[in-house]
Amino acid sequence: MSLVVDASGRNLRSVSTELKEAIAKEPVVIQGATHLHGLVAGFKDGEVTIQGNSGDYLGVLNDGATIRVTGNAGRYLADNMTRGTIIIEEDAGYGVGQYCYGGTILVHGNAGDFTAVMNKGATIIVEGNVGAEVATYMLAGDLIIVGDAGENLGNFLIRGNIYIGGNWASLGHNTLLEEMTQADLAKLRDHFDRLGIEADTKTFKKIVRLSEKPFYCAKKPVQIENSRTTGIPHNELKEALHATN
Amino acid sequence: MPPINGAFCVSLMKDQCINAKMPGKCATCVEVCPYDVYAIDDTGHVRVQNYNACVGCRICAEFCPEDAIRINPAESEFLVRSPWTFSQIEEIHHKAQTGDYMLRGFGTMGFAPTFDNITIVPSQIASPSPLDKYREECNLEVVIGEDTCENPVRLAYPLLFAAMSFGALSREARMALAIGAAQTGIMNNTGEGGLLKDESWLIKGYENEARTLKRWEPGGHLVVQWSTGRWGVSADYVRAGDAVEIKIGQGAKPGMGGHLLGAKVTEEIAAVRGLPVGSDALSPCRYYDVQDLEDMKHMVAFLRDVTDYKVPILFKLGPSRPYEDVRACVEAGADAISIDGLVGGTGCSPTVVTQGVGIPTVALIPPAVRALKDMGVHRKVKLFVLGGMRNGLDAYKAMAMGADGVGFGAAAEIAMGCRACMACHTGRCPYGITSQDPELRARLDPEVAGQRLANFIKATAEEIKILTMLSGHDDIGDLSNEDLRATEFNTAAITGLKLVGYERRLPWWENES
Repeated sequence: MSLVVDASGRNLRSVSTELKEAIAKEPVVIQGATHLHGLVAGFKDGEVTIQGNSGDYLGVLNDGATIRVTGNAGRYLADNMTRGTIIIEEDAGYGVGQYCYGGTILVHGNAGDFTAVMNKGATIIVEGNVGAEVATYMLAGDLIIVGDAGENLGNFLIRGNIYIGGNWASLGHNTLLEEMTQADLAKLRDHFDRLGIEADTKTFKKIVRLSEKPFYCAKKPVQIENSRTTGIPHNELKEALHATN
Repeated sequence: MPPINGAFCVSLMKDQCINAKMPGKCATCVEVCPYDVYAIDDTGHVRVQNYNACVGCRICAEFCPEDAIRINPAESEFLVRSPWTFSQIEEIHHKAQTGDYMLRGFGTMGFAPTFDNITIVPSQIASPSPLDKYREECNLEVVIGEDTCENPVRLAYPLLFAAMSFGALSREARMALAIGAAQTGIMNNTGEGGLLKDESWLIKGYENEARTLKRWEPGGHLVVQWSTGRWGVSADYVRAGDAVEIKIGQGAKPGMGGHLLGAKVTEEIAAVRGLPVGSDALSPCRYYDVQDLEDMKHMVAFLRDVTDYKVPILFKLGPSRPYEDVRACVEAGADAISIDGLVGGTGCSPTVVTQGVGIPTVALIPPAVRALKDMGVHRKVKLFVLGGMRNGLDAYKAMAMGADGVGFGAAAEIAMGCRACMACHTGRCPYGITSQDPELRARLDPEVAGQRLANFIKATAEEIKILTMLSGHDDIGDLSNEDLRATEFNTAAITGLKLVGYERRLPWWENES
């Protein structure tokens, strides 16, 4: 049994208040929520199904809830999620799974540009293709793309893994193509079996970071470094200079 | 330009020094200096081994039991071969040798205009009579989000501590700020570095985690910052605060994201920020999940939803285009806006950005206030001004120009014990404020530093009270432009205050509100 909430024509506050009361008792089905942005924000548990399409910022700060969308999801899906599962039956928009600390996001269709930006530990699986600038600044976690990727895949990758089954338009700065290990293959197979995805793990390639410190100002630790502070004691430096003269 | 390394003369006075009389005894200066300026040799004599490593923090002079150490700016600092000052030459040498630009902590130095060219007009016979500070009441309370939230933030004084993150500051310094806020009832900000385990109960003034024993009255307010890096942010973090602040930019490096070097990401910081140990904490310069003002409105909406419509939403702005930026924040749904001036500080930033990017604090207030007036929300949406605020005088001037309060960043650090040696970026703070080294951190006692902060805030509030009452007001909300005069033409031109002697606003300001 589940409670059906009709959200059409209502604002975020009224739908959200109803949701907060209902979610502890039974699974909730929301209809007509396309116009609501930031729905199902910060829930610790519960199950929510959104029939049709959803708005932007769905499942933001999600902390344990399971959210399923039967249609398409808007932009910034699962922004800053820490725990929980989000499943999108069709496509998701720009910026899926940004700033996530954990949890699982599964998009059965395609995902937009800037997916998994600053991902800090979530597992993001896209069954279709993804757009450009995907996994920019990714710090941890896994991004699994069954289809193809656009330009600048993994731009400024810091940590974490990208697994891709198809092709990419171009790789971003600080990326390295690495051999798949048995552990990687087992991980992918585990995810695919669990989530019911049909894909051949043999075709997958793994992309990791090239260097630990990709940024200009992070080339070396900040120290006072100039001719006068080389660490050589003053008198020794003076003696050395005297000797050379 | 500020003094940089190699710009100080270290003088050890042998007739006073214990070590000079009794070699092998007392080497306090050797122990306290984090930059190895002093060394002790085989015979037990203390000597100055590296003059040029001295940053001028004066911790050796402070700890010397016989007061035998003098630290003075080197003569070369005063010999100006314009424009080739000693500091400029050093900076060029640094770049030529390393290929890196200069980084520096703390804030901007030597920038005009400041609040110094503004004077306060007391009440005499033609205006409402002054009030008696000792016998009459004056309201210093500021309420944020009175009409919009279920739990508005009631600040006992129109003051707050600027956002300084855990990571830039040590754990002890963050705790001291919480204790200082708890004792005075003002607002402390987590910065973008996540929330410490003890912070949320400490700031309310509770002695233990179970919140059974209250130690400090009246209890402060915690602001949790929602920033571009989103370090350690979760639903629990957002709900832990009495207010949520959306950081757009900061004064020291507007248009840039925070950058905590991997070397400073210790185990504790890594745990709070949710990062692997030793990994750089790089904040982007913008929100990847906000593309326009509509998105920002949705962001405010879901933050209100997550916090059950209870707490106010604040915005923090860097010094850019104050009029347009403040308007945008009000449209997005801000309950209060903090605007940070050029002089605002930071833990580490490129020198060129700290030194030359942004609008001076004093020039930010008139356009920001005009934006609030044009939107019809002046004194409803609160405006806090930060960046180079030093005392009650600065605070009064900012508030009379239309702000609702001011924030202390560097001043709070100095109240904790900082001597403004401007070496925060090295992570070797001699007073344990901006260091993660356990040995240096042990020098800062959170309770002592917290007490010092509370004293500083109370004294500053008294200053504001004196000034408010002598100009004939019993509420800081009643202060206006009329209570101030500019003593100098430039200040009158940029602030729209009446010029002393002329007693009118400059012609191009006459039609402005």
